[in-house]
Amino acid sequence: MTDSPHATTADREIVITRTIDARRELVFEAFTDVRHLSRWWGPNGFTTTTRAFAFREGGVWDFVMHGPDGTDYPSWIAWHEITPPERIALIHGESAHDPDAFESILTFADHGETTEITMRTVFPTAALRDRAIEEHHAVEGGRQTLDSLAAYVAGQEGPN
Amino acid sequence: MARAATTSDAFNAIAEPQRRDILDVLRAGDRAVLELVGELGIAQPSVSKHLKVLREVHLVHVRDAGRRRIYGLDARGLQPVHEWAGGFEELWNERFDSLNAYMQELKRGAPR
Repeated sequence: MTDSPHATTADREIVITRTIDARRELVFEAFTDVRHLSRWWGPNGFTTTTRAFAFREGGVWDFVMHGPDGTDYPSWIAWHEITPPERIALIHGESAHDPDAFESILTFADHGETTEITMRTVFPTAALRDRAIEEHHAVEGGRQTLDSLAAYVAGQEGPN
Repeated sequence: MARAATTSDAFNAIAEPQRRDILDVLRAGDRAVLELVGELGIAQPSVSKHLKVLREVHLVHVRDAGRRRIYGLDARGLQPVHEWAGGFEELWNERFDSLNAYMQELKRGAPR
């Protein structure tokens, strides 16, 4: 480990680990092409419209996520570091000049037929963290709308 | 969008370690100011100041019991904190669910 533990980052860092049932090359590929990303990136019920896409270090993905309640979420991702098929460092924001963008580092561990993805996100300041709070609240709001709809539809179908 | 001041934002309020200590103690049950002073070893004026901030963002509530004022946790202020911490993770877990489903589709060679 090159990173020494920083006691002060623990409360503004989120680490999410997930095993994907596919080989590492395939999983990594799903992050590299907008044709793939558009199939899984948007939360359930969201669609995405891409304005620009260039998967390379220094490249960006400029897109809009359309929520199920009709709300649009401008989104902007810049790739900092790309090491196929092991590691991607990216910045999330609303636009190219979003002062409140924050960074995530995704690592892909090869487990044969499966791949373990670890995503480490550090919010550098309270201000950046607050922006993330607002955004994810908004997305969460859209998601809840959809959950309510799904529950309603399930209820209409009756027991099966 | 203007940044919320310390006194109007639960996230800023809990960024202060002594205020988190107060909330920790209150998790175990309601306390009078002097009890908090005794348990935390923080001077009374500081405790009172922290409690004022925590009240303003609805992290604690107060009731009068005779001459004493008793403080307790107020869930209203904590809810956005929970929602935020859960929301970000939930969003990504859902996204990884979608990725996993999409991978299975690709492995089956689904036409597109």
